Amino acid sequence: MKATFLFLTLLFLQVSIAFGQSIISGQINDEKGVALPGVNIFIKDSFDGTSSKLDGSFEFPTELKGNQILIFQFLGFKSKEIEINCDQETVKIPEIRLIEMITEMNAVTISAGAMQASDQSKSVILKPLDIVTTPSAMGDIMGAFQTLPGTSTVGNDGRLFVRGGDASEVGIYIDGMRVGNAYGTTTGNVPTRTRFNPNLFKGTFFSTGGYSAEYGQALSSALALNTKDLSIRSQGDLSLMTVGGGYSHTLANEKQSITASANYFNLGPYQQLIKQKVDFEQAPRSWDLEVAAQKKTGKNGLLKVMARTESGGMKLWQPLPGTDKRILVDLRNDYSYAQANWRTILKKDWMIFTGISYSKNLDNIAYDSLKVERSNQLIHMKATATKDFSDRLSAKFGLEHFIHPFSEKLVEENQVRNYKDQETYAFTEWDYYFNKSLVLRSGLRAGISTVSDQKWLDPRASLAYQLGDKGQLSFAAGKFHQLPLENYRVVNTNLQNSESDHLILNYLFSKEGFTFRAETFYKSYDGLVTFEGSETAPINLENGASGYAKGVDFFFRDRKTFKETDYWITYSFVDSKRSFNQFQTRVQPSFAPKHNLSVVVKHFFVNLKSQLGMSFSYNDGYTYSDPNVDNSAMNAKTKSFQNLSLSWSYLPKPNLIIHLACTNVLGRDNVFGYTYSQTPNETGVFESIPQGQLAPRFLFLGVFLTLSKDKTANNLNNL
Amino acid sequence: MKKSILTIAALFMWITFATAADPAYEAAMKKQITAMNSIPDLETSQQVTNGFMRISEAKKEEWLPLYYAAYNQIIAAFRFDVNKDQYFDQALELVKKAEEIAPDNSEITTLHGYAIMGKLSIDPASRGQEMSPQAMQLFGKAINLDRANPRAVTMMAQMELGMAQFFGSGPEKACGMGRMALDLYKKEEAKISEDYILPTWGKSQANEVASKCN
Repeated sequence: MKATFLFLTLLFLQVSIAFGQSIISGQINDEKGVALPGVNIFIKDSFDGTSSKLDGSFEFPTELKGNQILIFQFLGFKSKEIEINCDQETVKIPEIRLIEMITEMNAVTISAGAMQASDQSKSVILKPLDIVTTPSAMGDIMGAFQTLPGTSTVGNDGRLFVRGGDASEVGIYIDGMRVGNAYGTTTGNVPTRTRFNPNLFKGTFFSTGGYSAEYGQALSSALALNTKDLSIRSQGDLSLMTVGGGYSHTLANEKQSITASANYFNLGPYQQLIKQKVDFEQAPRSWDLEVAAQKKTGKNGLLKVMARTESGGMKLWQPLPGTDKRILVDLRNDYSYAQANWRTILKKDWMIFTGISYSKNLDNIAYDSLKVERSNQLIHMKATATKDFSDRLSAKFGLEHFIHPFSEKLVEENQVRNYKDQETYAFTEWDYYFNKSLVLRSGLRAGISTVSDQKWLDPRASLAYQLGDKGQLSFAAGKFHQLPLENYRVVNTNLQNSESDHLILNYLFSKEGFTFRAETFYKSYDGLVTFEGSETAPINLENGASGYAKGVDFFFRDRKTFKETDYWITYSFVDSKRSFNQFQTRVQPSFAPKHNLSVVVKHFFVNLKSQLGMSFSYNDGYTYSDPNVDNSAMNAKTKSFQNLSLSWSYLPKPNLIIHLACTNVLGRDNVFGYTYSQTPNETGVFESIPQGQLAPRFLFLGVFLTLSKDKTANNLNNL
Repeated sequence: MKKSILTIAALFMWITFATAADPAYEAAMKKQITAMNSIPDLETSQQVTNGFMRISEAKKEEWLPLYYAAYNQIIAAFRFDVNKDQYFDQALELVKKAEEIAPDNSEITTLHGYAIMGKLSIDPASRGQEMSPQAMQLFGKAINLDRANPRAVTMMAQMELGMAQFFGSGPEKACGMGRMALDLYKKEEAKISEDYILPTWGKSQANEVASKCN
């Protein structure tokens, strides 16, 4: 009985196949009519379907009847659904054209002015790891960026100088939130460092001009640092260095992670061993405590919180030119920074970001008997919403508010001057892809400041066009505003924004292992501040000065030609003149050397388990005013700056790294300028003191140990 | 009352029974798995991935078609001259979908780690620091989820071998894990029958690791 039934069923099935089958066929092409092989074609809610052949044709049988939905699916293309009727024996589908989706991976990206360090994007110039393994950087983020095009090294300052702009023209952001006083306070010729450890960040976006309307209050450059997402495992990291030590501990699970760290630095023991040219009464020292936590919220949300507090200082004797006298400079700095931000994806392709940050910087500086106390606070609140209307059009809307109190006090005289600015900004930016190879970004940023009593508008636009398979051309233009430095605004609260217009043309060629980048730019400056008197006691401050910067820069990186070797070469030419500060006529600023070159080479020796790094920086010298020549400004130039640095990282075990580095191996006596006596001596000569390096070389030795259940963990990122 | 409970229970049993055995699904899977085991070129590979994708579209509650589609993309990325990042990324996306259907599944977790390993292999110098612990962690998790999963142990053995080679230490630990995996494959083979459609790959990789100590 059972067998008969089965037989009948089978027979019935056979019959229905023989009589009820229809053959569906057709042809699939892309937008341009070129055949698309490998497209998945199937009838909805059934197993019936096939893949298109090499010539784009397809054919498959189905037993389904009546009206059905036929789906065409292919990676990177928009899916298509059509209704078909399967009652005929053969169903011929008219030509189907699938439209390629525009994605970050296949479309042109705007590269004018922009340099990214990340593992993600294709227009990457540096990888996060490069920052810590560049020998001259000594683990400082800015040190690594000084090897990139458009920057110049000012060795006794340490900050980032971009295309003829001064260091304050670089706006620094962490997770989109502005960081006040991102550099440690310093004095004399002691170069400063970024307060933040490169270990915190998963990627950076560095722009040397023409950047997004999301960033304001920066005339030259925006540097956006993005912190890491969830840590993947619990571990402890111990570091012991010739200049101090620290410990950091991470606790992590799949939903959240927290890292707490403490560090102490003291250059005293090192300076006792290696003679310094500057007479320190107390060597630079500091401690810091930091907590960073990340938590997943819902399916797509991520909350990040970070807080940091640090304290440091130094005492040094500063010689006075033309005399035997010297004055004691005593510096103390206290700094706190906290921020929280949250981002999530909502329905209908909306992405929301909100954040708040607070920084407080307190400087106590005594120049001999003159005691100054400066307090600078910055509160930044920000919200943005991004909407993808389609794969071609997306828009970003943002609102920002800053509260910015500043005060300056002469302690002995008990004189205080201060101001409290409130700034509000609104911005929007629209990206439109005409096709895969042409994108236009246009943005508008509006700002208002209560203290300056000023409203302003910054329109910006950029365009990128794909040239061939590997190359692309980008163009950017825009207007940028920035309020003058706090110590000038506090003297004259009527000071208005300085402004700058940027024009940039960029060519980028990248193929696996190679990157070539050339960029030319023109930048105008207006409303720069000038004053009479000295930088420390300015009077008659005005917004009347102007200037320009123009130039071209080249970058070449090759990670492929030589085995286990990665190198990059950068050359930047900057022609910049401006009237500013005490310079009433246009001069070439001391921080804008004309010719800048840097070469970085890294080679990994597999058998030695070591990476050897070399970096060389050169520029043709810094301008300065020599009163012995004539009384014009910036009438002299120092000899060229040269610095050859070497580093060696050794990984004897997966969780142990030994790092040795030395800057200026050749011991070149670099000079960054001269300070002159106020009056000439009896022979009529103004006596001078060179502003040089603290010591010919800086030597660094560090041991980094990672403690974790996972034996392969190491803290390479802490180098 | 008692009767209605019984009816509901019976109905429920019937439903579970019905979803457990779907001959059309199993036959379709079997056909694609057979095709997958003899892929000559990229075109065929794409056809096989598409086949699994079609099954997954029709049987949205099954993780296995997504799993095999992802696995096949990973293998294609290793074998053929394609945009490897794109293939691994697609595999990761499919893995994510499979994980939503079957969370904490040892096989899917192993495949997740395998895709990460693939991405790592494209640029070990700059991706190793981030991705090798990520892959290790996933393989570790997969082993914890199912200690009898030979693929989780094999993948972990491969990572161990890579680490040992990089740091110049002996391959003994990796070999030991490789042999352990081979034992697990033996046990698994005992279960395999005509209509077994769960993953069985990885034995040759385990053999290769285990052979490093001879």
